[in-house]
Amino acid sequence: MVKHENFKTCTQAGFCKRNRAFADDVAQLSSWASPYNLDPSSVSFKDGQLSGTILKTVGKAGETVRLPLTVTFLESGTARVTVDEEKRQKGDITLRHDSKARKERYNEASKWAIVGGLEISTGAALSRDTEAGSTRVNYGPAGQHEAVITHSPFGIDFKRDGETHIKFNERGLLNMEHWRAKIEKPAPKEGEEPPPETAEENSEDESTWWEESFGGNTDSKPKGPEAVALDISFPGYEHVYGIPEHASSLSLKETRGGDGKYSEPYRLYNADVFEYELDSPMTLYGAIPLMQAHRKGSTVGVFWLNAAETWIDVLKSKGSKNPLSLGTKSVTDTQTHWISESGILDVFVLLGPTPKDITHKYGELTGFTAMPQQFAIAYHQCRWNYVTDEDVMDVDRKFDKFKIPYDVIWLDIEYTDGKKYFTWDPLTFPNPKKMHNQLDKRDRKLVAIIDPHIKNTDKYPVIDEMKSKGLAVKNKEGNDYEGWCWPGSSYWVDCFNPAAIKWWTTLFKYDSWKGTFANTFIWNDMNEPSVFNGPETTMPKDNLHYGNWEHRDVHNINGLTFHNATFEAMLERKKGEVRRPFVLTRSFYAGSQRLGAMWTGDNLAEWSHLAISIPMVLNQGISGFPFSGADVGGFFGNPSKELLTRWYQTGTFYPFFRGHAHIDTRRREPYVPGAPYTEIISQALRLRYQLLPAWYTAFHEAATTGAPIVRPNFYVHPDDDKGFAIDDQLYVGSTGLLAKPVVTEGAESVDIYLADAQPYYDYFDYTTYVGAGYHTVKAPLDKIPLLMQGGHVIPRRDRPRRSSGLMKWDPFTLVVVLDNTGNAEGTLYVDDGETFDHEQGAFIHRKFVFDWATSSLSSINIGAPGAKTAAYAKTMAKVRIEKVIIVGAPASWKDLSKVGVSEEGVKESKAGKKVELKYYPAQGGKASWAVVRDPKVAVGKGWKIEFA
Amino acid sequence: MGKHQLEAIALLCSLLAVPALAASEAPRPRGVGPEFAKFYKSPDTFTCISNPSLTLPLAALNDDYCDCPDGSDEPGTAACSHISPLSPPSPPTNPNPAARFNETLALPGFYCKNKGHLPLYVPFSSVNDGVCDYELCCDGSDEWAGVGGVKCEDRCAAIGKAWRKQDAERQKSLGAANKRRRELVEAAARLRREVEDRIATLGAQIQGQEVKVASLEAELAGVERSERGRVVKGPGKGGKVAVLASLAKGRIGELVESLGRVRGERERARERVRELEQILATFKEERNPNFNDEGVKRAVKAWEDYAARDKGPDSDPALDRDLDEILKSDAENGLNWEEFESTEESDVEVLYKFEEYLPKPLRDWVDQKLRDLRVTLIENGVLAAPHSDSGDSKAVQDARQQLESAKKDLENDRKELTSHQEDLQKEYGPDNIFRALKDQCIDKDSGEYTYSFCWLGQTTQKSKKGGGHTNMGNFVRIEKVTVDEDLPPDGKGLGSGERYSLVYENGQHCWNGPNRSTRLILACAEKDEIWKIVEQEKCVYRMEVGTPAVCESAAASGKAPAAKDEL
Repeated sequence: MVKHENFKTCTQAGFCKRNRAFADDVAQLSSWASPYNLDPSSVSFKDGQLSGTILKTVGKAGETVRLPLTVTFLESGTARVTVDEEKRQKGDITLRHDSKARKERYNEASKWAIVGGLEISTGAALSRDTEAGSTRVNYGPAGQHEAVITHSPFGIDFKRDGETHIKFNERGLLNMEHWRAKIEKPAPKEGEEPPPETAEENSEDESTWWEESFGGNTDSKPKGPEAVALDISFPGYEHVYGIPEHASSLSLKETRGGDGKYSEPYRLYNADVFEYELDSPMTLYGAIPLMQAHRKGSTVGVFWLNAAETWIDVLKSKGSKNPLSLGTKSVTDTQTHWISESGILDVFVLLGPTPKDITHKYGELTGFTAMPQQFAIAYHQCRWNYVTDEDVMDVDRKFDKFKIPYDVIWLDIEYTDGKKYFTWDPLTFPNPKKMHNQLDKRDRKLVAIIDPHIKNTDKYPVIDEMKSKGLAVKNKEGNDYEGWCWPGSSYWVDCFNPAAIKWWTTLFKYDSWKGTFANTFIWNDMNEPSVFNGPETTMPKDNLHYGNWEHRDVHNINGLTFHNATFEAMLERKKGEVRRPFVLTRSFYAGSQRLGAMWTGDNLAEWSHLAISIPMVLNQGISGFPFSGADVGGFFGNPSKELLTRWYQTGTFYPFFRGHAHIDTRRREPYVPGAPYTEIISQALRLRYQLLPAWYTAFHEAATTGAPIVRPNFYVHPDDDKGFAIDDQLYVGSTGLLAKPVVTEGAESVDIYLADAQPYYDYFDYTTYVGAGYHTVKAPLDKIPLLMQGGHVIPRRDRPRRSSGLMKWDPFTLVVVLDNTGNAEGTLYVDDGETFDHEQGAFIHRKFVFDWATSSLSSINIGAPGAKTAAYAKTMAKVRIEKVIIVGAPASWKDLSKVGVSEEGVKESKAGKKVELKYYPAQGGKASWAVVRDPKVAVGKGWKIEFA
Repeated sequence: MGKHQLEAIALLCSLLAVPALAASEAPRPRGVGPEFAKFYKSPDTFTCISNPSLTLPLAALNDDYCDCPDGSDEPGTAACSHISPLSPPSPPTNPNPAARFNETLALPGFYCKNKGHLPLYVPFSSVNDGVCDYELCCDGSDEWAGVGGVKCEDRCAAIGKAWRKQDAERQKSLGAANKRRRELVEAAARLRREVEDRIATLGAQIQGQEVKVASLEAELAGVERSERGRVVKGPGKGGKVAVLASLAKGRIGELVESLGRVRGERERARERVRELEQILATFKEERNPNFNDEGVKRAVKAWEDYAARDKGPDSDPALDRDLDEILKSDAENGLNWEEFESTEESDVEVLYKFEEYLPKPLRDWVDQKLRDLRVTLIENGVLAAPHSDSGDSKAVQDARQQLESAKKDLENDRKELTSHQEDLQKEYGPDNIFRALKDQCIDKDSGEYTYSFCWLGQTTQKSKKGGGHTNMGNFVRIEKVTVDEDLPPDGKGLGSGERYSLVYENGQHCWNGPNRSTRLILACAEKDEIWKIVEQEKCVYRMEVGTPAVCESAAASGKAPAAKDEL
């Protein structure tokens, strides 16, 4: 069980308590005027950007605090709102305790998170219909978006096509805690009553403004209270999603108490939460402050770019949009309240209108998923720990012996010499080269763990260099911060520092870290950072990072900076040998998707943890970091064989597919459980490998459009309001593959939800399901409930190989799944799976279209050629389509035994070649299907198969 | 694969025996082994081996497209490699919905001729995957298509040569091993003979001892009889009993006092232990195991071991009640010292006292008469034997001592006899061979531990980082197990087939786990050696051990020795 006492509730975090109390106070008032007013005379608009000053009225006498505002309108149709605090900005404040910290509010989160999409809109303009008391700006595609900025009190309504979708400060909860000096009150003398407080002193509760203590750690808070909070409403929206990482449902729950609701806000404060709790808004290892609101016909989103500890309250209120219009359906509004401990206010507003627009535009800002190497999306075998190099080689041999494919074997911390990273234990790993060589024989890889804590010990050049170069995170006094982690006493590398990244890069060179090779890759763990003796198992907030930013300001980005440094290092291991890096991270922030994969941390070998993994992975997908997965089998504890088997059947649908286990558990590699489990697990693994072309294509889509790799129902069917809360089944990319993994013990069937009227076919035997709503699919232990939606072409490679690398030259099979109009289409993306040559056109990108009208299947190029296109095409010239399966084949093909095949670049005389077609009629609820026998067309070329 | 390989080798041997026949064979399609050649002889069509209802044109043979549901049309490609119960299921293709084709691979794999070495089958899934599988296919023929530009040169000459060299070494080593085994068998037989001889010796010895005991018993009876009538006199008035009583009273007083004090100390110690256990239990409960602090982990582990050990009942309430009783005052216990301190003379002693008033000669006469009378009375059960606090006389004691000693010798000899007889019934493996090895121990360094096992004794583990030996199990029985392992070129591995196994159980208890146990699996080797140690699951170990002890037995059971035929 999670140790609640180790982690704060909102009440225990002063700034959250203050802002929640503020919200409660406001809610009780019959009329409330927010004390934030935009000074109309300060408003100016230039080059797509509106600027002005918000005046916050403080105290009874009406003094004001100046808060500079900018609203930037981007070419993408996204608007960005920032509010800062002039006095802190100018450094016109004094810090307590002689702190060396920076005086400004943290304004560099965008430096880490944002990589593009900031082109200023040229079309944005002040609206001609002016109204007193507000400023209006038209922007976005065809000027369809409008921002209505109300001056007094300050607020913004964001409209699309004349309708308001997002409101800032509707409830008046905007709160920038301005800087103030601490007024030391004389302590009451012994035996005397404290003097009665004056009315003014009574107006604000100062108890959490200054030092705060939790779990024996005291935060010195040299800058005093500096929270930033805002209420954001989504009128007419019942569902909001996003803000990972939480072990919770995809559709976010209300957080102010009540039946089936949470009483704590969703929290984002990256932490090493041991044995985490399910169905909880508690914080976990990573944070992406992107929330999207969805309703039939519209999706909008906000991206709260703040790296400090953040809490988000969610409230939903049912009400009629227009109380007078009787008979119309009542609508639900969702109101959210965002509370961060420090930093500037910086919010991006995305107006959709579809889920795809949100992921795409968010991806333009923070980057798309990096295109991984092929092996990275195959199966990973991990354990804490494979204890010797012999052990690794033995596991490797066993996979081959049992004919189970796998690509990567992992080493947890025990491979090191006394937890000193960049070393090998001389007793247990005496021969890393031999180990790497054996793996490389089958094109397999090794992933070794490297954490950010560096052991404080003698004769360890890494710690000596880090300290002497001054690259460690500092404590509040400005000295190297010492904490406790795996190695015992440790220091932490400060990857906010460009010099630290440079130094970190040197450590990964093959000639520096001996015993690593081109097939060594990296796992970054504990980068929240996890500090065993720190508050909430992480660093003190008054620690100092590069640039003298307080840890409090940058905490949620810390994991990303470390991940980034390792990513950079992987690019420079050897000159002239540039391969796509693979780095797994536990902690993450918006933008981490550019650097590698994540997993959901230390879960348990329990059915409930298997079940929660699906909404968690789906949530990662729609929140811009889709390369995700949970530990298959469950990290802590020993899964039953049934649970292990079901977990593999589920894991085959995680974008990141890794089996992992705690050091105190029994061995559980796929070959361990024995009959019938090993056979069933092997089928699940081979299914993943068979579908790797489809997965790789889905990754490519994610890497170019930001679309999730596995998708929830609402994303695929945004107008199906019955399916908006469904989070226990998933679609694989754009393939139409719909899986509902079994996550309960002893199940014999599952009820799978179909959102539309298309036919859905069982993947394995073509049993047909038609009609929106729930259908029962048989699911005994050896069966994965997996359907194919009509209308798609699914690429596969059917030959089982020992690793994905050995499938490189294998022919493809295309499964053409006809829809209810007899049409289908799908795409295939292929490249060399390791280099960056695809950036210069070294890839194959095809679209396959089955056209009912002409009864033909064609392959069409959809890739733009580049310098390396031709050379790559040459290497792939012999890779062919060996088989085309048409599911739902028309009955008229009963007597068709030959189809005509023509191929681009093949002489006319040969162009009309005929190949065999076999037709299998429908029977017993199973669809008719047909097989084209070896059309022998090249996968990289244009071709056409004619069925009539 | 093992079986197929053996079959292949058997077939090869027969082929080599008739080279003329082999040479006259028509060339077989790529990947077909000689034993399947007969299926590929038809000049114009091919019939799927396991599905004879399906006939294909010859052009469909090895055309890299899988037609036969049993894969027999693609002996030379990977096109049918997906046919396997490990693959995702696919829909049935038999036009008759009630029937299903035989969808088991008809062929063992792709046949590598490996000229210059031994022919072997490589799995279809390894054909044309861009990797030269020299372990099985030294001629490189598995990569005939050269996908991705791969070129697998024929290395059979070198590999075959190396193999033959190694094989010769293995044979030599096997010879040495067999020789060593014969020595062991002899030694074991010698040891057994020694035991048998000892049994014979003991038999004779025991007979002698029995006679001796009988005569000593008679002797003792005589001495006792003569001593029984002797009157023992007390040293003075008041009697010894009173003195003893007063001494005992004092002593018991002291003992009661000490017992009370010790008991108090015990209670306090127990309280402290309980408190410490509570602290440790809480410590274990509340620590974060994920932090894996080595010191903490060691402490928790030690605590777990401690907690798991048989502690015995915390405190036996019955024993405590007894103590309570003991600590009560003597009076409460119904013990009245006064009664003993002022002794009343017993009737028998009064009888003797009357002698004191008689003149010496008469007294002697009376004494003699009385003694006889008394003995008669006692012997006839009329008079109780006198209570005497000085015990038996010296003569009786000596006689008894001699008897006891003789009995003890007899008992020891009988015990030894039983143990030797039982030993002869014990399982010592084939030819009693482990008798020759019993209690010899073998060590091996593996990572941070040194492991060791003693034949029919104990298995242990010792960390190089310090700490004592951990018992990984005590020998309980000999079993046979079937193994299927790849054999390394040096022959130091289990190979495939039935192997002897020694089971060691009930070792030290494991933190969060069972009692440690070890299974030794034995394969033929020149000398005793631990090849490999793996912890199969938590605290369940497996040692692969080479020993000459199991060599000939493998040959005797009809199996080729492990090291011989598999590469």
